Amino acid sequence: MELYLYIALFAPLVGSLFAGLFGASPKTLVTGVVNSSLLFASFVASSILLVHVLNGETVHVEMMTWMATGNLYIPFGFVVDQVSVTMMMVVTVVSTIVHIYSIGYMDHDKGFNRFFSYLSAFVFSMMVLVMSDNFAGLFIGWEGVGLCSWLLIGFWYHKETATWAANEAFIMNRIADLGMLIGIFLIYWNTGTLQYDKAFAIMPTLDMTTLIYIGIFLFVGAMGKSAQFPLHTWLADAMEGPTPVSALIHAATMVTAGVYLVVRANPLYHLVPEIGLFIASLGAFVAMFAASMALVNRDMKRIIAYSTLSQLGYMFAAAGLGAYWVALFHLMAHAFFKALLFLGAGNVMHAMNDELDPFKMGGLRKKMVGTFIMMTLASIALAGVFPLAGFFSKDTILEVGFVEHHYVIYTVLLLTAGLTAFYSFRLVALIFHGEERYKLFGFHPHEAYKFMLFAMSPLAILAVIAGSFKTTYFDMVTKLLPETEYHIHSHVVEWVMILGTQAFVIAAIWYAYKKYINFKGEDKEFEKRLCYKILINQYYIPYFYEEYISKPYKELSDILWRKVDLKIVDATVDLIAMTIYKTGENTRTMQNGNLSSMLRWMVAGIVILLSLAVAFGLAVRYSDEITSVLSGLGV
Amino acid sequence: MEIGLTHYLVLATILFSIGLIGVMRRKNLLMLFFATEILLNAVNIGFAAISHYYNDLTGQMFAFFIIAVAASEVAVGLGLLIVWHKRTGNINLDTMSSMRG
Amino acid sequence: MLDHILSILIFLPALAAVLGFVVHKDSAKAYGIAVSIIEFVVSLYLWFAFDPNVSGMQFMESLPIVPAFGVNYLLGIDGISLFIIIMASLFTMLGIASLGETKNMKNMVITLLFLQMTMVGVFAALDAILFYVFWELSLVPMLYIIGAWGGPLRIYASVKFFLYTFTGSLIMLVGMLFMAYLYYQATGHWSFSILEWYRLILPESYQLWLFAAFFIGFAIKVPMFPFHTWLPYAHGQAPTIGSVILAAVLLKMGTYAFIRFSLPMFPDAATFFMFPIAVLAIIMIIYTAMVAYAQEDIKQVVAYSSVSHMGVIVLGTFALNVEGITGSVFLMIGHGIVSGALFLLVGVIYDRRHTKLMSEFGGLASVMPRYATIFGIMMMASVGLPLLINFVGEFLSLLGFYQQSHITTLLAGTAIIVGAVYMLSAFKKAFFGEVTNEKNRNLPDINKRELVALIPLTIIAIWLGIYPKPILTPINNSVESIVALMHEKAITPEAKSRIPALEGKIIMQKSEAEVR
Repeated sequence: MELYLYIALFAPLVGSLFAGLFGASPKTLVTGVVNSSLLFASFVASSILLVHVLNGETVHVEMMTWMATGNLYIPFGFVVDQVSVTMMMVVTVVSTIVHIYSIGYMDHDKGFNRFFSYLSAFVFSMMVLVMSDNFAGLFIGWEGVGLCSWLLIGFWYHKETATWAANEAFIMNRIADLGMLIGIFLIYWNTGTLQYDKAFAIMPTLDMTTLIYIGIFLFVGAMGKSAQFPLHTWLADAMEGPTPVSALIHAATMVTAGVYLVVRANPLYHLVPEIGLFIASLGAFVAMFAASMALVNRDMKRIIAYSTLSQLGYMFAAAGLGAYWVALFHLMAHAFFKALLFLGAGNVMHAMNDELDPFKMGGLRKKMVGTFIMMTLASIALAGVFPLAGFFSKDTILEVGFVEHHYVIYTVLLLTAGLTAFYSFRLVALIFHGEERYKLFGFHPHEAYKFMLFAMSPLAILAVIAGSFKTTYFDMVTKLLPETEYHIHSHVVEWVMILGTQAFVIAAIWYAYKKYINFKGEDKEFEKRLCYKILINQYYIPYFYEEYISKPYKELSDILWRKVDLKIVDATVDLIAMTIYKTGENTRTMQNGNLSSMLRWMVAGIVILLSLAVAFGLAVRYSDEITSVLSGLGV
Repeated sequence: MEIGLTHYLVLATILFSIGLIGVMRRKNLLMLFFATEILLNAVNIGFAAISHYYNDLTGQMFAFFIIAVAASEVAVGLGLLIVWHKRTGNINLDTMSSMRG
Repeated sequence: MLDHILSILIFLPALAAVLGFVVHKDSAKAYGIAVSIIEFVVSLYLWFAFDPNVSGMQFMESLPIVPAFGVNYLLGIDGISLFIIIMASLFTMLGIASLGETKNMKNMVITLLFLQMTMVGVFAALDAILFYVFWELSLVPMLYIIGAWGGPLRIYASVKFFLYTFTGSLIMLVGMLFMAYLYYQATGHWSFSILEWYRLILPESYQLWLFAAFFIGFAIKVPMFPFHTWLPYAHGQAPTIGSVILAAVLLKMGTYAFIRFSLPMFPDAATFFMFPIAVLAIIMIIYTAMVAYAQEDIKQVVAYSSVSHMGVIVLGTFALNVEGITGSVFLMIGHGIVSGALFLLVGVIYDRRHTKLMSEFGGLASVMPRYATIFGIMMMASVGLPLLINFVGEFLSLLGFYQQSHITTLLAGTAIIVGAVYMLSAFKKAFFGEVTNEKNRNLPDINKRELVALIPLTIIAIWLGIYPKPILTPINNSVESIVALMHEKAITPEAKSRIPALEGKIIMQKSEAEVR
């Protein structure tokens, strides 16, 4: 089994290095094909490992030592257990599909080879992240995906917005990574190890304060990577990257790393339920907060990005309430339909010459049947309509909130489900239905390559059927995670809830269709309202960060350099040097060569020396008296 | 009133002060030599007086040394002075500034 | 050969420098490369012959110079100095190999070889006077390099560099003399041997004064805030080769000396000053990172980033535990490799455009893709990305200090944020965007001569990031013996509790004499 583990882990790295060799040369199709096949190999190996794990066995290898000093010992250790194999499957399935899709999507891009190199490197980092058996290994993957995300968001580096967004994403993640690093330090100094199993075994013996701090700091790390409030602004800006990147990194895999961390650290969060409740509340808040911004946005990719953010909120809500397996299940289902949605959006962008405003589209279903069907399926799944994947995962999260008696969280999540349905179908309606507004702007849409659609189809199938895995999945993953089933005791209440939720969601879909299917012109009245302005400006949070953090930081840096460093610190040093220099310059007139004045200096020197000698002699002679006088004065 | 050690030392101090002021104030090189001689002789008086006071001849011996040294110094100094006067036509100290630092 | 390998390492370049005067000026560079390759191979052999399991000094050599005062020609290395010596010879070799068109090439090669002698000497010396001699001698070639091949302000920069560091070392010399005097008082004979000094237990008040005297000398060299202002001038005016050696090796002399002198000799003073120094280190990290962010000249960004990273090294050193000190020594190597490479990279673009202003660049990634790739790797290493060399050192340094103080480490940890801010924004300004300046449109990509120096550094940066064990283990063993010695010697309860006891580790030198 170790062989399969290594194949699953290192095949993407081999692909990345292979494509990297051709990085600077013009497009060679071979890199796309080789990388996709290597990713497929990784997927096959992961599937074999999945079967192995389904049989109830796990794989744990220690490849080599990374760092060892003092009592610290960090190996490159990898573990395939029920949790990591779930993540591996999600990562390899989505990334294989995205790789194949990208062969078509990046067809005309001159950075084709470079793109595949980065993309495979990302998959490798993500695999390290999910497969490591210790926190340091997790951190390697954590930073690795951050790097690849930086490379890929800024892939079109000639665009100012893209590079800006890349830097923003990297730096914001770094802020969170500091929290994570501190969490790792705390774990090391309190448990003496960074291995998951050993550290979690010791944690119940630690005192509560330490555990709370560990929980908080680790979650700060998760907040950055999963773009939770207030570190969320980078995710929407990250949409500057190529669309397959958004599908793979900023929807399906990397952003869910935070959820993975919380799930992985479930023994810790189990011990500190207060932190769990905080995580759940923040999750519920973000779910609603992000969904509200998606309601009015006029950028197709940003809408989907906010939707991702909102779904991440759901996952954290579930994980925070202790329903780790539910969170992980929603993570999986979400990866499938959200990646599908993004890839569909990529097709639309291709058709529309990278136009992102859905108000300039409309009626595309005639030209792009395949994309239309798949995006609609994905949206239905996202909205959580029976019997697609989203229904099973999202409904369970709502049930968790209800059963655990956190009715506020439940209500917020329920309302968000309605919002989700609304903005998803607002998008579908604007893009695919109604009048063909694109004609006004002179676009000539065309369907994407056949093989791209073909590559997307497994995701479409998974988005439809993933819900049926729920029982199998539950049986498997609860061998590692807390086995909590959520059943509402009364069948009547259960049915009322399910049907009520469904009715609410379908009503939201119907309302979105009704409002946008025959969309004519923009609603000027509505756009003048305050709530619209707040939402379209993302609650003015990016503005706030720019005005009150970025700019002051820049100005302060400038002041520190020009005023403090040059004018104070350096000037002090120069002042000392200048004083010495000036003293020499001034006293050199003593040496004016005039014998008479030199003689006078000589006499002055004699007088000074003589008086010193006399003073010293007197002091020695009367030392006893001086001491007594001084002691009398109290010195 | 008997002339004692104190009187000699006071005389030496007065002479020394006169010499010192001469060294500081005089601009003429020749006068400077005179002032130097006064300084040296002030010291000589001191040596001789203390030597007599302690009945130790070392001081008087030292005085003779000083007289000899002063004589040779004046001989060399005057020689240089004459050369300088021949070259520049004056022996004013202010004009001798070739040793300016 | 093994008995005198350190002398060979020191005097081979010195001898070669003297012989260099008779070499024809056209073959000077080849001559320099040949000598430095031999030197490098010998230093690698040193590593090969080094026994990583011995925690004490190895390859010791001793020859009395002034027996009456116990001044000896005493050499020896442990796991801490070994790798800095190898790095010094590596950088001399790569530096000479990467020299481009230089006026007075012969003088440059001779100066570099002489500089190499002093660098190896500083790290191999175990006698305080010998250490001091090499320490001061190393200023001369650097003064010459900056003063003769530097930019328009070179005289100002070189004099400032020289006088500033020289003043600090004079105070250090006073400390050394006093230390020797105390040793004489305690034992009745003079000695300047560092190993003998280790055996001395001093009362806390003496430790504080001596620590302060040594601290001034070392802190200016590091350079620690607020003594850092000579560094931007020196880097700004120095030619590429000067900056590379300065950043990679010469700055390490200060932090190395902290570990060699300040910690084992004055453990109680080190504990006493731990927090004031940590505060200085935090100021170094955050303040200089912000200053680096404000720079317009890409070389100054790298220069200030050096100061910022040296802050992390200092912090790790004063963690006073094995993790922190090992991390700081490793970060010295890492920072040497990375900042050396970054200065070389800045030199590459300076050779082509004769400017270092970032506003003159922009869009270089599309014109010079290979250059941008190597620069990107080194930038990420500097930012402290895992699996690249700097991360190991930074992680261990911060981890070590976390045991001593949580808040301090949290503040110092912002290094990973502010570091990313200035590095990424500099990279963005220079490499991303459209090519706006016509002069950049047809720049040739990095050439073979430049790659010769940069490829090995890139490989090292990645290799030691993934597999740091070969150099981490020897460092760890030597650091363990130093920490054990410190714990043994500590007299105040504060120091006893701050410095961890290492059961079952060999203490390098048992303490014997005591000053009352």
